[in-house]
Amino acid sequence: MNKTFDRSLSLVLVAVCSVFIFESTKMLKGSFGSTIGPGMLPMVLAVVLAILSLINFYQTFRVKNSGEKSEKLQYKRFLILLGTSILYCLLLEPLGYVISTFLFLIIAFQVMEKGKIIYSLIFSAVISIGVYFVYVDVMKGTLPGLPVWLGF
Amino acid sequence: MDVYQFLMDGFAVAFTWRNLIFAFFGVLIGTAVGVLPGIGPISGVALLIPVTSTLTGGLSPTDAATSSIILLAGVYYGAMYGGSTTSILLNTPGESSSVTTTIDGYQMAKQGRAGAALSISAIGSFVAGIVSLIGLIFLAKPLSSLALDFGPADYFSLMILGLCAVSGLSGKSVTKALMMTILGLLLASIGIDVVSGTARFTFGFTQLYSGLEFLTVAVGLFALGEVFKTIIHNDIHSGKLARIEKLLPTKQELKDSAAPIARGSILGFFMGILPGSGATLASFMAYLLEKKVSKNKANFGKGAIQGVAAPESANNAAAGGALIPLLTMGIPGSGTTAVLMGALIMYNVNPGPMLFKEHPNVAWGLIASMFVGNLMLLILNLPLVKVFAKIISTPPKYLIPMIIAISIFGVYAVQVTTFDLMLLMICGVAGYYLTKNDYPIAPLVLGLVLWPMIENNFRRALTISNSDYTIFIKEPLSIIFLIIAFLWVTIPFLMKLKGKNVVINDEG
Repeated sequence: MNKTFDRSLSLVLVAVCSVFIFESTKMLKGSFGSTIGPGMLPMVLAVVLAILSLINFYQTFRVKNSGEKSEKLQYKRFLILLGTSILYCLLLEPLGYVISTFLFLIIAFQVMEKGKIIYSLIFSAVISIGVYFVYVDVMKGTLPGLPVWLGF
Repeated sequence: MDVYQFLMDGFAVAFTWRNLIFAFFGVLIGTAVGVLPGIGPISGVALLIPVTSTLTGGLSPTDAATSSIILLAGVYYGAMYGGSTTSILLNTPGESSSVTTTIDGYQMAKQGRAGAALSISAIGSFVAGIVSLIGLIFLAKPLSSLALDFGPADYFSLMILGLCAVSGLSGKSVTKALMMTILGLLLASIGIDVVSGTARFTFGFTQLYSGLEFLTVAVGLFALGEVFKTIIHNDIHSGKLARIEKLLPTKQELKDSAAPIARGSILGFFMGILPGSGATLASFMAYLLEKKVSKNKANFGKGAIQGVAAPESANNAAAGGALIPLLTMGIPGSGTTAVLMGALIMYNVNPGPMLFKEHPNVAWGLIASMFVGNLMLLILNLPLVKVFAKIISTPPKYLIPMIIAISIFGVYAVQVTTFDLMLLMICGVAGYYLTKNDYPIAPLVLGLVLWPMIENNFRRALTISNSDYTIFIKEPLSIIFLIIAFLWVTIPFLMKLKGKNVVINDEG
């Protein structure tokens, strides 16, 4: 139980709901044939969600802080992996599947456990080339290939 | 045609080479998913949707849907078998549905009876799987013809009931569960409205016109969410596997577990049908029931074979039972069945009463394949249990990056946009933080899946009644569903106010 999270999420959701409510007021009128407009039900939902979020916000003041277990959390490793993953997603199209996957896997393997670089290299190469080969050449799927500027 | 004929046709579908292979890989991966603690049935299924959709790319839509659902369902019930292995050998449940098994299972392993515990749980799972299939076969027809008579108002209320049932029982706080349900519904309303053609809540992003892709959200919330949890909490287990000496149970042990298996199967089956309860709750209730009826209660917790047989049968029977509301009425009762439903919809196969009429091959092929799959699982889990126990020593340093890479590959292969990859990452982070703070994500996914049908039926009902909102309380079935839905949410809430402990389902 983390009160700060509960409170911020509730407030964020209330804000999101207000945007949704505002947007849905523009489309309350039904076009011919349908009796209610496309904004009608989402508006009801947004109102209910906003009310629930406020209740949730209120409830955080009533609950006593339960003793948080102090656990050593690996935020650093998580952030590095998350950052690498996001980079991987962004570079997937410019660099092509094989190169970006290879780079991602090497970094990720090394972040999880340093050392044994040879194994990481072999695994990454086998997986990235293997998946590309099976998917594109055998199953005729589409993945971004090698970048054009490499000149292949 | 009668049920028998349909079933035979189903077997003809299930016994094609492709479907046999799909069923085999489904249960094989399912068992592995069950054994690995970092990844549960729901993320296993979510992760495999894109993989199966690429595998079935060249087939006709019906064939593709049949093969995919056979594989995905195999992962689901296969995980129920696999979960017991680590519970017994390591005292670490692979799934939440196997938590109860650790109580007596690990004690048995300590006494050198690990083999007996494993084989009894495999046999129990098998019996339960068959029991729930027979139930499914006999209930499918009457339930789906009953559901065919539902009007739009009844359907709307039934889906509200489904949502309330899942929210009422999942997570520690009903408020949070309801918040997640409605958030799911609200997120699903993003995109072009099918009735009027208006773009709703797209805020100028053209990528949002088709709505948030269910697949991306499910893989992100469940698979990546769990991976991130494993990374942050360093949930990397290190324990010693108990040794398996003699695999087969003694005659006495078989005799002792026959009745618990029967009771567990039946109880689990009915718990599975009820929306919101699911496998975890079923195994827990089955254990309590055995403890109640047993003559020597003192044995429980000290390695009683009944304490392994009953919950393991119950969780498998519940997995089978949970398919009934999904297939016959189109109402998923749990997170995993919601993901299965999303997969079916991706193939343009709508689960529900029309499924048995329009796509008999999908429905009966799946049912028949589950017979085959359960048989495969029995074979996989008895002689090969030692091999599977070794999976747990797969180094997480390879496993975690691989799961991330598979998620990204899968989503990209189906969606082919960087936008969806970004959405995937956001959902992954959201999945971790929401779960960590007791916001259950299963109701969110359920809302996402059910929204289009809820809105359609709502509008159709109002069109029929000429915008008279009282149609929802005038229709007898509709009002009954709404009342049950209301009670489902309020009763646990009232019980909590009175300070009673409410059993919740944290299946995810």
